[in-house]
Amino acid sequence: MKSFALRKTAWRWYGAAIVIGGAALLGAMRNSSDDTSTPLRVGSKNFTESIVLAEIARQELQRHGIAAEHQRGLGGTAILWRALQAGDIDLYPDYSGTIAQELLRDVSPGADLETLRGALAKSGVGLSAPLGFDDSYGLAMRADQAKAMRIARISDLAGRPELRFGLSNEFMQRQDGWPGLRRVYKLGAASVRGMSHELAYRALAEGAVDVVDVYTTDAEIPYYSLRVLRDDRAYFPDYQAVLLYRLDAVERWPALALALQALARRIDLKAMQRMNAEVKLHGVGETETAARFLGISLPHAGSDRAHRLLAHTGEHLRLVAVSLTLAIFCAVPLGVLAAHKPGLGRLVLGLSSILQTVPSLAMLVFMIPLFGIGARPAIAALFLYSLLPIVRNTQTGLAGIARELRESAAGLGLPLRTRLRRIDLPLARGSILAGIKTAAVINVGTATLGALIGAGGLGEPILTGIRLDDLTLILEGAIPAALLALLVQWLFERLERAFTPRGLRR
Amino acid sequence: MQFALRGISKRFGDALVLDDIDLDFPAASVTAIIGSSGSGKSTLLRLLLGLERADAGQVYVDDAPLPENILPLRRRIGYVIQEGGLFPHLSTRENLALLPDFLGWPRARFEARVSELLALADLPASALARYPAELSGGQRQRVALMRALMPDPPALLLDEPLGALDPIVRHELQDQLLAIFQSIDKTVILVTHDIGEAGFLASRLAVLHAGRIVQTGDFEALRGAEHGSYVARLLGAQRCLPQAT
Repeated sequence: MKSFALRKTAWRWYGAAIVIGGAALLGAMRNSSDDTSTPLRVGSKNFTESIVLAEIARQELQRHGIAAEHQRGLGGTAILWRALQAGDIDLYPDYSGTIAQELLRDVSPGADLETLRGALAKSGVGLSAPLGFDDSYGLAMRADQAKAMRIARISDLAGRPELRFGLSNEFMQRQDGWPGLRRVYKLGAASVRGMSHELAYRALAEGAVDVVDVYTTDAEIPYYSLRVLRDDRAYFPDYQAVLLYRLDAVERWPALALALQALARRIDLKAMQRMNAEVKLHGVGETETAARFLGISLPHAGSDRAHRLLAHTGEHLRLVAVSLTLAIFCAVPLGVLAAHKPGLGRLVLGLSSILQTVPSLAMLVFMIPLFGIGARPAIAALFLYSLLPIVRNTQTGLAGIARELRESAAGLGLPLRTRLRRIDLPLARGSILAGIKTAAVINVGTATLGALIGAGGLGEPILTGIRLDDLTLILEGAIPAALLALLVQWLFERLERAFTPRGLRR
Repeated sequence: MQFALRGISKRFGDALVLDDIDLDFPAASVTAIIGSSGSGKSTLLRLLLGLERADAGQVYVDDAPLPENILPLRRRIGYVIQEGGLFPHLSTRENLALLPDFLGWPRARFEARVSELLALADLPASALARYPAELSGGQRQRVALMRALMPDPPALLLDEPLGALDPIVRHELQDQLLAIFQSIDKTVILVTHDIGEAGFLASRLAVLHAGRIVQTGDFEALRGAEHGSYVARLLGAQRCLPQAT
């Protein structure tokens, strides 16, 4: 079949439709944060202390008459910083050392708060007074092992290649983390494994690793009887807890300045350690821990497991359903285009293959400047991941139609649209459905990461469970997610059977 | 409807498949194009439908060159290929309804036409609900013919329509095709490699060999071909049944 059989105008029409649809989608998904009726949004990183601090901030703000909501556990520093700059959150807790070394490029690592305040103001970000405690990085070992090996200082670790390090992924990558530490203390030969901070404690307790990075306020230090090694070369800078906020938020909520003042030097190291222990070791919720600290009595918000499960599953399904539906509407036409225009097809397939290789977490971070935080960036990322399987299967399905059928369809003199609708797409239906099924199953799995950017879903109990070392909570997310994947698989197989016309069944 | 090829050449890569062809298909004539496989017979048919573009020369339909938008013309030409080209996901009725649906025929008109064509193709009404895979080879070709005749086109192009059938069904269908051709008064162009079939069904024959038309005329004219020529060899290659002793 020669390509001139396809009307050029038809292709222009499809192209325009896709572009307009995509633009409308972007427009609809990008929210405007200028609306004064929206509450002030507090963000927190994905660890207990950050969530407790953000929760304290939120409750203190509400005491000052500011409606505030809390987007909990949003991945790492990069995600929070971008969200703050994009205006998707207005405030979040961070530490002076992190600000100096990770967020600002033009200040010295040990810069004082005044210097930081000046540098941050250039980005429209304000810095609160210190909250009152210092949460520094440190390295820790089991006390009995450290004693037996006579290790008390970090410099004692040099020349001990038998020691196994289990370091949090963030610590491994930060400029003020492992790379510098390794250089300063000459720990070149050490064997290092990256793991989540919460799992590292377990690994240490079980003897799977010997040295982990800790925060000095961690509740686990007394709980697991750990020895924090002395930083004898004063490598780790100060990590004073502070709040970062958008300067324009003070204009929108004038009471914010007062609320921030009320929190200045209010929390000491002991209080922070106690609150961390309450949450991580005694299973008290962050909201309640924060309320107890502030002396606020909370109405008991009872949320039983069934309700939570239902809510998380609902959120999860929404992420998958919306992203998949959008993907189908874009990817099937793109697959048709790829089948009819081989040159363009290679380009489309190449691009969607590249998208597929972007690691999920990186993809989520890329989406934040475009879509903010919450469900929208997660849907956008899942949408991009869904494109390749559907485009490819649509294209191969159409290209696989027997020559004599294509010939016969062309000979009937039906226009392209009618041919696609009545003949080509139905014949390629099996392949297209299989592509959609693949995309759906991948989506159900990947959507669990959406919890890192505040999208909710079944990833939330999983991440919280990992953070609190609570297996029941992990399973509360993992089991439904696995069942959901199986259900989706089964559903699509039924759909495939139901949609196969009698003439094509074997 | 009448067709004319003027100075048509077509190459696929290095192979010159059609070499400066001039050929006429007068209105309401039945013409068979004969040639061995790979001789470019099918290509010639595809050129008439605009499914293929000539490298040189021009195709004329009713004295006009092929239009830019070829689709309305294709809808006025019935086209049947060797395997019938029925769509396996559609029942017989749905296959037949493709073009009428597009043209927006009222249901009654479609049903009336189907009944007419069932009688012409000698098919039972029960075949309408079946899918191509549930029909015999002969039935499939009959349905394909019905589909081609659905809009009552002024021209019918058949590309080896009986090529895939067993001899008895083939013989039977040849009889029916002849009856149909005689009853419908259309321009018929039939491509076949079987010279017996060509002589039986068509009043005009055109022999295609090595990219050129080597002879046109009726069957008698072919008999007069020069000894040793391609046409004479083609005629001589027909096998007769052995005589009873």
